[in-house]
Amino acid sequence: MGSVVRSALKAIKEKGLTSFVRELREEGYLSALLDGNLMQTKIHNIGATLVGVDKFGNKYYEKLGDTQYGRHRWVEYASKNRYNASQVPPEWHGWLHFVTDHTGDELLLLKPKRYGLEHKENLSGEGDQYIYHSKGHSLNPGQRDWTRYQPWQPTKA
Amino acid sequence: MGLGLLASRTLLRSGKIQPGNFTSLLRRCIVSTTELQNAEAAQAQAQPDTDLPKRSPVGGARVHFPNPEDAIEVFVDGYPVKIPKGMTVLQACEIAGVDIPRFCYHSRLSIAGNCRMCLVEVEKSPKPVASCAMPALPGMKIKTDTPIAKKAREGVMEFLLMNHPLDCPICDQGGECDLQDQSMAFGSDRGRFTETKRSVVDKNLGPLVKTVMTRCIQCTRCVRFATEIAGVQDLGMLGRGSGEEIGTYVERLMTSELSGNVIDICPVGALTSKPFAFKARNWELKGTETIDVTDAVGSNIRIDSRGPEVMRIVPRLNEDINEEWISDKTRFFYDGLKRQRLNDPMIRGPDGRFKAVSWRDALAVVAEVIHQVKPDEIVGVAGKLSDAESMMALKDFLNKMGSNNVWCEGNGPNPNADIRSGYIMNTSISGLEKADVFLLVGTQPRVEAAMVNARIRKTVRATQAKVGYVGPATDLNYDHEHLGTGPQILKEIAEGRHPFSSTLTNAKNPCIIVGAGVFERNDKDAIFSVVETIAGRAKVVRPDWNGLNVLLLNAAQAAALDLGLIPDSGKKIESSKFIYLMGADDVNLEKVPEDAFVVYQGHHGDRGVYRANVIFPASAFSEKEGTYVNTEGCVQTTVPAVPTVGDARDDWKIIRALSEVAGACLPYDSLSAIRSRMRTVAPNLLNIDERQPATFSYSLKPESHQETGTVPFGTVVENFYMTDSITRASKVMAQCRTLLLKI
Repeated sequence: MGSVVRSALKAIKEKGLTSFVRELREEGYLSALLDGNLMQTKIHNIGATLVGVDKFGNKYYEKLGDTQYGRHRWVEYASKNRYNASQVPPEWHGWLHFVTDHTGDELLLLKPKRYGLEHKENLSGEGDQYIYHSKGHSLNPGQRDWTRYQPWQPTKA
Repeated sequence: MGLGLLASRTLLRSGKIQPGNFTSLLRRCIVSTTELQNAEAAQAQAQPDTDLPKRSPVGGARVHFPNPEDAIEVFVDGYPVKIPKGMTVLQACEIAGVDIPRFCYHSRLSIAGNCRMCLVEVEKSPKPVASCAMPALPGMKIKTDTPIAKKAREGVMEFLLMNHPLDCPICDQGGECDLQDQSMAFGSDRGRFTETKRSVVDKNLGPLVKTVMTRCIQCTRCVRFATEIAGVQDLGMLGRGSGEEIGTYVERLMTSELSGNVIDICPVGALTSKPFAFKARNWELKGTETIDVTDAVGSNIRIDSRGPEVMRIVPRLNEDINEEWISDKTRFFYDGLKRQRLNDPMIRGPDGRFKAVSWRDALAVVAEVIHQVKPDEIVGVAGKLSDAESMMALKDFLNKMGSNNVWCEGNGPNPNADIRSGYIMNTSISGLEKADVFLLVGTQPRVEAAMVNARIRKTVRATQAKVGYVGPATDLNYDHEHLGTGPQILKEIAEGRHPFSSTLTNAKNPCIIVGAGVFERNDKDAIFSVVETIAGRAKVVRPDWNGLNVLLLNAAQAAALDLGLIPDSGKKIESSKFIYLMGADDVNLEKVPEDAFVVYQGHHGDRGVYRANVIFPASAFSEKEGTYVNTEGCVQTTVPAVPTVGDARDDWKIIRALSEVAGACLPYDSLSAIRSRMRTVAPNLLNIDERQPATFSYSLKPESHQETGTVPFGTVVENFYMTDSITRASKVMAQCRTLLLKI
């Protein structure tokens, strides 16, 4: 505990108080005070190796040795307040769930350039505009026109 | 069966008691199958000839014996069948109720015998025989279900599939393919073919027929159709063996007006519809059996629709009208039903722009204007696609408003509606096959009524009937003698000065066909009287044969004349103040006075709308139930296949609504009520699907003292593919016009 306080004081001295607080907030240390999941992840992170960071900013950690097998890989989400498992892109999913030992960065090289889709998180419950609506749904902005005839245009008259 | 009944039957059969009133009453109470009551039938029932189950002919076909003593008996799978001499083994099997698989054989085409799919076993024959080409002989024992026949079919199927691509999933014929069906039914469940498949370059046959020639199995049905029925030598066979392919010899398009029928007769997906390509699968489609209105033939068609959209049109069998063919215009104009549609009532504002309004407002405006004009300044014109119901409503409505100036376009300024034989095809379309000399007066049936032309061609091909033609030089697809261009030739024939006159008089069943284009001529009466003189000389009209015909142009014409839609005088449009155009696009609108109020009721934004003040959107023939009379006087109805577009309504309903708003309410508000009104005017219009021949012949007509003019007969239909508002809106028809008509 003493070392934590010491390193914190050292950082304040180096960066100044305002930037230290901003960094604290951005890194999620402030929300961790109220969010047990995040707090536990932060504590877990101590002494772990950072294996990679994906393009969304999610950090992937691994800690071998004294960690229980099956709990030795985890992710710290980029978003500190609204995070969920669908934010993990497919290339990291396999590594995170012990499907493969290849990291996401290695697997990203195999992603087809021409037709590989960008990963999108699941936005269910985030509002109507994020929900998938079928092509005939009136809430779909690109709602399909089901008219099967072309009306005569009187302006040409 | 009760004991008492048995006893009474035995008594009846032995004839010991005469069936009196009482017994017959008793019998009726006890047994419902009265046909068994008669003694012979009961006996036949008691001792059936064989113990084989009964079979009925394929498709319910009936055997016609032209010569009863020529009947022969053959045995199909042990069943004895009586057939007329000269029938093939395949036909005998069909009558016996056995459907033989076939690809090249088609009952309306000549026999080729090259697909070998119809192999059957015949007793005492060393090899299986191709049943389509083998005449049935007396006492022949045909076996269609033996291991030899099955093995033969399986072998043929394996050879056919050898060079047939495995592209059923992307083939438009998939689901209605003969090869697909028959390989399921008669083919092997495995193949031994490991080599590479043959491939053939696709041919360009024009905008209507799509070719994937690799799929072709060389049945040559299309070649035979083109040469025999369509009468064009466009298609043919090139090469031999595995290099054999169907083609057009040199790079050219198929120019026949019947070319679409090769799509139907192709047993595989080699020839498919180009506008329909990749649009739908046949099992998604809803078929509606209706009739065609683009010409006066009234071809029987099936409209295949998916949801609100007409996807394709295919022919329906009607031996009396179109057999099983339809013209290209009928088959491919349907995309016009989806373009340029009027879907809202519109009123032309003071700035000359149309504005969509509600039905209530539009009807109110018209009802107000119609009361402001004098009754004899009101004119109504029915269009060429109008059904009888709406023409009846239009005539009744305008009569109620005090005007009698209602006519149907195409019937000319001074039509004759009094004698029905003067405007219908008295011979009937199928009756044309009995004629041996034709005289075509001012008509080019090839463009005016392609199916009638096909019928004449069939007659000419079968019996070498002579055809004389008066009119501008044209290609009719069969040998004809071009007699001249003007009415003078007719006079020469009438006076016996022309060589064709003796041909006519020597003919057994002479047939004269006058085109409806003559209706528009000023010397119409004179021409008809000359034609009637010819008919009298050549005995064209006899009790057993009526060969004096008029070939109409439009679907509405015959019904309009039946209903008496005739104007007071032909010049009414110039002095009119209120014109009601019910789908009439071909009236000369330049003669309409500037201050006249024009109401256009119709389904397409065509020529008529540009002069209109108010537009009422109506439904097209594919969306409504309507009665049409074709050129031979056969009454047929359309059936709605798809819903109406937008705010459109049925024609007669619009007029009925307008009459109510105008304060002269018509006394019918249902289709059956308007039909019972039609019954009082023209009772024949209620006999659906029946041809009503004319009762009185032309001889009752008053003498005409008009002199024939010297103006030669003109071409009535310049553009076969675009004759009415629907076909003019069609893109495919426009393509056909640019690609096919210039050749």
